[in-house]
Amino acid sequence: MIKTSLGEKVFHSLNVTFMILLTIAMLYPFWYLTMYSLSDATLAASGGMFFVPRGFSLAAYKVVIGNVSFLSGFRVSMIVTVIGTILSVFFTATTAYAISKKRLRGKTFFSFIILFTMLFNGGMVPSYLLIKDLGMLDTYASLILPSLIGAWNILVMKSFFLGIPDELEEAAKIDGANDLTIFFRIILPLSKAVLATIGLFTAVYYWNDFFSTILYITDKNKWALQAVLKDIVSNASTALQSQGISIGYQRNVSENTVKMASIVVATLPILIVYPFIQKYFAKGAMIGSVKG
Amino acid sequence: MKQQGLNLDTGSHASAPKALVHRQRFIKDLIRDKYLYLLLLPGIVFLLIFKYYPMYGLIIAFKEFNIFTGISASPWVGLQQFERLFRTPDFGQIFANTFIISAMKLLLGFPAAIILSLLLNELKNRMFKKFTQTVIYLPHFISWVIFAGIITIFLNPVDGIVNYVLGMFGAKPVSFLTESSYFRWILVFSDIYKEIGWGTIIYLAAMAGVDPNLYEAARMDGANRLKQMWHVTLPSIRPVIIILFILSLGNILEAGFMQIFLLYNPLVYDVADVIDTYVYRKGILESNYSLGAAAGIFKSVIALVLIVLANQFVKKTGNEGLW
Repeated sequence: MIKTSLGEKVFHSLNVTFMILLTIAMLYPFWYLTMYSLSDATLAASGGMFFVPRGFSLAAYKVVIGNVSFLSGFRVSMIVTVIGTILSVFFTATTAYAISKKRLRGKTFFSFIILFTMLFNGGMVPSYLLIKDLGMLDTYASLILPSLIGAWNILVMKSFFLGIPDELEEAAKIDGANDLTIFFRIILPLSKAVLATIGLFTAVYYWNDFFSTILYITDKNKWALQAVLKDIVSNASTALQSQGISIGYQRNVSENTVKMASIVVATLPILIVYPFIQKYFAKGAMIGSVKG
Repeated sequence: MKQQGLNLDTGSHASAPKALVHRQRFIKDLIRDKYLYLLLLPGIVFLLIFKYYPMYGLIIAFKEFNIFTGISASPWVGLQQFERLFRTPDFGQIFANTFIISAMKLLLGFPAAIILSLLLNELKNRMFKKFTQTVIYLPHFISWVIFAGIITIFLNPVDGIVNYVLGMFGAKPVSFLTESSYFRWILVFSDIYKEIGWGTIIYLAAMAGVDPNLYEAARMDGANRLKQMWHVTLPSIRPVIIILFILSLGNILEAGFMQIFLLYNPLVYDVADVIDTYVYRKGILESNYSLGAAAGIFKSVIALVLIVLANQFVKKTGNEGLW
C-alpha cells in the first residue's frame, strides 16, 4: 500500500480539528443558556460568564415551573404531540401499506394524489379559511388534523413495506388471514424501526409547531408551548408580571435567566428522546429523500 | 398464478364481450382488496380535505371573497387581485427580498452541506464520526422559536455575549437585529447553522455507496485525498446533488417564513419582508383573504415553473432529472 504522505496527515489533523470546533459551536449556545439559567441573576448579568454558572441558583426554574401560561402551554403541546403522533403514525402506515401493494387497482392514481401534495399546496389563506369553515378555530383539533398526513412520511413507510418479503403475506393468506389481520398482526410488529422514525419526526413537528397556534388559536389559554415561549422570550417581564412576580424584587431572578430557563425546559423533551431514536432516523431520512 | 386465472376466466365467458369481462375482473379485484381500500380510505380522505380543498380554495384569488357568502358564491373579478398585489407600493421590494434571501441561502448553504459531507466522509475514526454526526443533526430538531430566542439573547446590544466579546476588543455595542445591513446575513448563517448537519445525511448515504475500487485505482494513479474527492467522490454523487438542487430551486421563494417571522421587526422590513410574511400580515391579520391567496399563488407558480425549467435543463445536459 501507499503510505500516508505528510500532506494527508496535515489534512486529517485539520479536518479533525475543524470537526471538534464545529461540534463545540453546535453545543455551546445550549450549554451557555443552561449555565446562565442556573446562575444567580445579578452575578450573571455582570458579564464575562462563558462556561460555568456564577452563584448557582434554581430560582429561574421555580419561576418557570410556577408560570401558569408556561405550564398550560406545556400541557397543550404534550396532548397535541401524543395524540397527533399516534394518529399520524397509524394513518400514515395504513395509507402507505395499501399503496405498497402492486396488485391494488388504482394504485398509480392514489400515489399521484399523494405525491402531488408535495409539489403544490393551497397555502396559508385557504387553509385558514378551511379551518374556519370547519368550525375548528380555537380547538386542539386545528393543531393536530391539518398536518396529520404528509406525503413524504407515506413514501418513507411505503419503501419500508416494499422491503418486507411477500412470502410472509402469502403464508398468512394460506392460514386464512385477511389483509387487515396481516397488516395488524404481521406488518406493524415488523415495522417498529420505521414507525419509531416517523414517530420521532412527527412528534418533533408537533412539539415545535408554532405556526398552527398563531394561525388558528386566539384564546391564549389554549396556546401551545412554542407560542407561549415566543411570548416569554420576546417579553419576559410582562409574562412574569401577569402572575404578580416583579423581577426587580425577586432575588436571583432576571428576565434573562427566566427566558433561558424556559428555553431549556422546552428543549428538554427533545433532548431526552433524541438519543434513543437517533440511530433509526438517518436511515428513514435517506429512504424518503433518495427514492422521493 | 394470476395469468392462469385470467385465462380460465376469459375461457368461461368466451361469448361475453371483452369489456364486460374486464369489468367483472375489476369488480372482483375491488372485492378481493376491500380491506386494503379500507386501510387507504382515511389517508385519502384526510388529503382531500386538508390538502386538496385548500387548493380549490385558491380560486378566491380570482374572486372578491366575501366571508358571509363563502368561496363558491363570491363574485368573480378576474385578475383584479393580482393587479392590486402588483400595484402595492412595497411589492417590488418584497419580491426582491424573497428572492435575495432565498438565493443567498441557496448559494451559501447548498455547497456548504456538500463540503461538510466530503469532510465528514474523510473521518476515519467511526466513533468520532458518529459522535460528530449526532451533534450536528441536533439543531435540526430544535424549533425556530427556540433558535430565534437564542439568537436574540446572544445578539442583544445591552447584555448579549456577542457584544460583550466585541466589547473586549474595544468595539461599540451593535444592535444586530434592527440593523438592515446585518439582518439578511443573520438569517442566512443561522439557517445554515441549523440545517447544515441534517443536509449531509443524503450526501453521506450516497458517498457510502461509492465503489471502493475507484478510490484504490485513483490512489494507484497518485491522486491525493483532495484529488480523490474531486475526481471520484463528487462525480459519483452528482445525481444526488442535481436532484437536491432542483428541489431547492423549487423552494427558492420559501425564504424560511418561520425564521423571518420570528426574527424580524418593523425596523428591518425593508430587507426582511418576504411574500409569506406579507401574506400573513395582509391575508390573515388584515383579512384580505383574496389578496393573500393571490400572493400565495404567485409564489407557488413561480416555484413550479422553476422546478420544471431546472428539470428540463438537467435532462438536456444528459443527466437524470426528477421525472
